[in-house]
Amino acid sequence: MDRNQSYRNHKRLMKALHFSGLFIVMSIICIPGLWIVLNSFRPTVEIMAKPPVWIPTFTLDHYRAMFGGAGEGGVPVFSYFRNSMIVSVVSTAIAILIGMSGGYAFARYRFKGKNGYFVGLMLFRAVPGVALSLPLFIVFARVGIIDTHIGLILAYVAMNVPFTVWLTDGFFRQIPKELHEAAEIDGCTRWQAFWQVEFPVAKSGVASAAIFAFLTSWNEFALASQLTRSVGSKTMPVGLLDFTAEFTINWGGMCALAVLMIVPALILTFLVQKHLIAGLTFGGVKG
Amino acid sequence: MTRRRLPEWFLLLLPAIIVIAAVVLIPLIFSLYSSFTPYKLTRPSTLWKWVGTYNYEKILTDAKFWAAFGRTVLFLTIALNLEMLLGLGIALMVNKVTWGQRTLRTIIMFPMMFSPILVGFQFKFIFNDNIGLVNNALQSMGFNVALPWLVDGKLAMFSIAFAEIWMSTSVFAILILAGLFAIPRDPLEAAKVDGCTPFQSFRHITLPFLMPFIYIAMTIRSLDVARAYDIVQIMTGGGPARRTELLWTLMSRTGYVDARMGLANAMGYVSIILSVVFTIYFFRKLTAARAQIGMEG
Amino acid sequence: MTEVTLSNIVKFYGKHQALHGINLDISDGEFVVLVGPSGCGKSTTLRMIAGLEDISGGEIAIGGRVVNDLPPRDRNISMVFQNYALYPHMTVRENLGFSLKIAKMDAAEIAKAADEAAGILGLEELMDRKPAELSGGQRQRVAMGRAIVRHPDVFLFDEPLSNLDAKLRTQMRVEIKKLHQKVGNTIIYVTHDQIEAMTLADRIVLMKDGHIVQVGTPLELFNTPVNTFVATFIGSPPMNLIDGVVSGSSTIQLADGLSVPVPASAQGQVHNGQRVKFGFRADNLMPYGHAVEEEGERADLELTVTLTEPLGTETVLFTDLAGTEVQGKMLNPRPVRPGEVLKFRLMLDKCHVFDAATSDAIRG
Repeated sequence: MDRNQSYRNHKRLMKALHFSGLFIVMSIICIPGLWIVLNSFRPTVEIMAKPPVWIPTFTLDHYRAMFGGAGEGGVPVFSYFRNSMIVSVVSTAIAILIGMSGGYAFARYRFKGKNGYFVGLMLFRAVPGVALSLPLFIVFARVGIIDTHIGLILAYVAMNVPFTVWLTDGFFRQIPKELHEAAEIDGCTRWQAFWQVEFPVAKSGVASAAIFAFLTSWNEFALASQLTRSVGSKTMPVGLLDFTAEFTINWGGMCALAVLMIVPALILTFLVQKHLIAGLTFGGVKG
Repeated sequence: MTRRRLPEWFLLLLPAIIVIAAVVLIPLIFSLYSSFTPYKLTRPSTLWKWVGTYNYEKILTDAKFWAAFGRTVLFLTIALNLEMLLGLGIALMVNKVTWGQRTLRTIIMFPMMFSPILVGFQFKFIFNDNIGLVNNALQSMGFNVALPWLVDGKLAMFSIAFAEIWMSTSVFAILILAGLFAIPRDPLEAAKVDGCTPFQSFRHITLPFLMPFIYIAMTIRSLDVARAYDIVQIMTGGGPARRTELLWTLMSRTGYVDARMGLANAMGYVSIILSVVFTIYFFRKLTAARAQIGMEG
Repeated sequence: MTEVTLSNIVKFYGKHQALHGINLDISDGEFVVLVGPSGCGKSTTLRMIAGLEDISGGEIAIGGRVVNDLPPRDRNISMVFQNYALYPHMTVRENLGFSLKIAKMDAAEIAKAADEAAGILGLEELMDRKPAELSGGQRQRVAMGRAIVRHPDVFLFDEPLSNLDAKLRTQMRVEIKKLHQKVGNTIIYVTHDQIEAMTLADRIVLMKDGHIVQVGTPLELFNTPVNTFVATFIGSPPMNLIDGVVSGSSTIQLADGLSVPVPASAQGQVHNGQRVKFGFRADNLMPYGHAVEEEGERADLELTVTLTEPLGTETVLFTDLAGTEVQGKMLNPRPVRPGEVLKFRLMLDKCHVFDAATSDAIRG
């Protein structure tokens, strides 16, 4: 009886600890993001108020100013959004095509030094953006593609290819090789077999690799901050800096831009979260 | 019949190799060269002056560089380990939950989609000594303080680490959770019957099985450890008085603010080597851990 | 007419030689089974016929046309894979019609051909399902349907039944045989299961370590195995083999002072002092009163039963003969306890002799 009782108490205690632990962790994860969203709807006076105001008032001023383009220091948010979209979408499309071809090579062919090639490819991804931005800036300036979409797209393609290879390798590896053999016997060329059978089967995986690449481009700062200069090519992460002056920061406007940045990312990630995890865990240095 | 053709796998890899060679390898070779010159952006002719290992000697004897280097390694070690432990803890907690697991998992993924620069701004805002959430909350609770989160050296380092860990723990949590879902039930049940305590079965069965997943997360993380640059650049810019200076901020200051490209590229190479060492180390661990539980295909 | 001819086929994987000169003529409409233990090269041979593996040396001809360098799509073959390899993103109907779609047939013809194949295999009800919604046996049938829909010259089967449970396997075996009777195409079928080989084949090709060991009808392999490998691989339980030495010209001395006469088929082929293996099947060692054949030469032995395996219509009896564990059979079984001593009758004219050194059969 007594031992049962003590086990039961112990169990109850563990349950309480478990619950409060989860609650604290989830709060820490959620509050910073929610705080940004909340403040994007609060007037600047209230954000700056001392002592703090805890009951928020609602305003769309920051959004109005942001899309109006003039009010809040005239940050051309719309251009930044467009630049980000163009650069991210185009670089993702190219990176997926190139990465998929590489991933297929790793998943389907046996060749000498495969692991070496794979790790070598990954190492290029490991080059820090800042370290790359210095020479890339000079090279791009020589070629004359600094401050253009093309320059940034090229840089992002190179940045995204290794990881896309990793992910697509993982997805193609999960497809039994008999599938393309069956397709070839059914009359397909290798090329047809890929597009008719293997690609449709791996489609959702490829989509999640694409979204990963998109997010990387969408969120990248170190390279973009050096390779873009003008309204015509600056992306949103770089545009965030426009809200900071020497000693003051327009917090409300910044929060509004942050929300604009995070919403597409949020939607895309939720669409593919399951495949993303599967791809990450299956790919890489095997076989 | 025996006409030599490039093998198919090589043709498939070729686009990847070309684009990486053009965009990464060539600039890197250029920067390797320029790291042996006193190249300054403002005086292009300096590119043709060979100074040998002068830049490397200079940074290797520079106390400021070593301070930044040491701080970077320390920062990475602490951050990666904490992220791993916290990720493991979160994954174990979520794994035990009986309902709403999907929702929790989705919430955990939340920080993954934040741009590092956004994370920097977010925490710069939250840790602001005047209007930040943290100080406001402390004051409203009756502590009459305004902690200088981003101004005091130690507190600033803490704030930066907090932001970094907030951003990157989810990678570990998500992948370890995937590992926990994939653990076969039989060995765990066998261990229970054999009389293992929960801790023993965690130590001897769960953990070895999770190791590959932990190393996958470590490898993915080590691929872009330099993301921390964005955060630091925004939150403190390396200040105050260089107390949060990391290798990457020092390099960007040397290159872009002081325009000493040659010197900055030499630092860049040190940072590249650092990243490469981290990555290779974890790739090796990953392969070994996979072999241990028979996951290699 | 679609004969398949393999002349001196060789396969190397790097330095390792997987096939050592395979020669085989398969005639039109024949059902040939390649059988052997894993790693014997049977699947490699099949995949080379299909065009999925490169041919390192030799020549493969289908219907008189050399196909060595043709891709699979130009060989007019179809194949059923071990794991079915159904296209998971297509319905059964689309799976069946895929090869015709690739061949750019028009939709009406494809639908007709798919329905016809579905009719043969009883898939009408399943046409709009995806492979994931099918049971193992149904998937197997779809895989076969996909193979017959385009009327290929040759069907290739790569261990098609090994992923099914025992009961379904027996059932599908019958269906495959019926299918062959209905469509009459040449079939090349790979399996590691000797029962499948025995029941399905017109001709069995038994392979080992990249060589063909014996080619023949099921009964030829069963009754006249060329060596001990064939003798123990074909038939269940495997043939009993006992070490012995020829003494004189007509007696084989076994251990324990036991001796048996040299079987008629090997008379005059052995010499004094030759080391041999004496072989007989369990069917030829039966307790008194259970032996169906009364004529022919026989030896009577009193043996102690050590273990029994009742199978219903018969019971396999384990016993010791000349220091070797051997198996006999009891038809019309009655309960037998271990330790019981029974009088056995060995049918001597059904026995085999193999050379101990080469393992080859000694036969006149």
